[in-house]
Amino acid sequence: MLGILRRFLGERSSGHIAHRRMQFVLMHDRVDITPDMMEAVKNDIIKVLSRYMEIDNRSIKVNLEQGKDFMALISNVHVKRVYRHASSI
Amino acid sequence: MAGKTIVVTSGKGGVGKTTTVANLGTSLAKRKYTVVMVDTDIGLRNLDVVMGLENRIVYNLVDIIEGKCRKEQAMIRDRKLPNLFMIPAAQTREKNSISPEQMKDLCSTLAAEYDYVLIDCPAGIEQGFKNAIAGADTALVVTTPEVSAIRDADRVIGLLEAAMLRHISLIINRLNVKMVKKGDMMSTQDIISLLSVPLLGVVPESDEVVVSTNRGVPLANDRNSKAGAAFIRMAARLNGENVPLDGEGSHGFMGRVKQLLWN
Repeated sequence: MLGILRRFLGERSSGHIAHRRMQFVLMHDRVDITPDMMEAVKNDIIKVLSRYMEIDNRSIKVNLEQGKDFMALISNVHVKRVYRHASSI
Repeated sequence: MAGKTIVVTSGKGGVGKTTTVANLGTSLAKRKYTVVMVDTDIGLRNLDVVMGLENRIVYNLVDIIEGKCRKEQAMIRDRKLPNLFMIPAAQTREKNSISPEQMKDLCSTLAAEYDYVLIDCPAGIEQGFKNAIAGADTALVVTTPEVSAIRDADRVIGLLEAAMLRHISLIINRLNVKMVKKGDMMSTQDIISLLSVPLLGVVPESDEVVVSTNRGVPLANDRNSKAGAAFIRMAARLNGENVPLDGEGSHGFMGRVKQLLWN
């Protein structure tokens, strides 16, 4: 009963949490990318994008996602505006 | 025809490697195959106590490799099954007193004479692990549904693949079905999707395992035990028989619905 109550309060089951955490941990273990390296990748993406558009630096998310037989780097950035001169660079 | 050499490994300690070796060995021997179990955990041997053969040891694995005895002298016959043998590890030596090449040679001589050679691997990924996997053509990776065991299993699978071991199967030990139903433990599917290795079987968590090790009689001798039955089915699958993963792979329709609701 307590479990159902928790569920309605929006709390995830611990088994689910463990699974999500392991997906993340194993992916990083396998490709051997440290959190520091991910941070560097993120900063470089910000640097490149900033030349063409104004972005919300705090909104950027960079994640590795494991598909069935591929891995994808997925980045989400909130764009505030695109610079007018961008096309002429 | 040469027998199969199978290493049972896990990375993390205490997940049930030795119990698995003892029970698979017993199950296969009950099917009339000749089986030899090799304890490679030098310095921390345990297969002898789990099998209840601790007071019969005269020679050990290192003695065979150093040529101090013939391999038949170090092999201990099981108390019940005349076609089941065990080679104990040395207790007062170090892991590096044998080399991967020596293990490879020993495994191939044993495989020429026996149907199954089961190798009990020490915890860790150092010298002892390298020795244990050197002579194996198949690997069974044991894990429990805990994050630390799963992470170590993944690491070990990577190392086994790097060592060109192509036949790797997974054993999930100590699954607590009640906790999985409540959503408080990773399910079999969760673990398989994380590790992406074929499943050999699932052993439910059970007090009987402790009792059987207390007595020194593997559970596979007792058909009424759930965990013992799981090992017997696993041994059949290992032997190439088609035994469905009844109730092990999934929790039925209602179970799945429940899990969806919970997650």
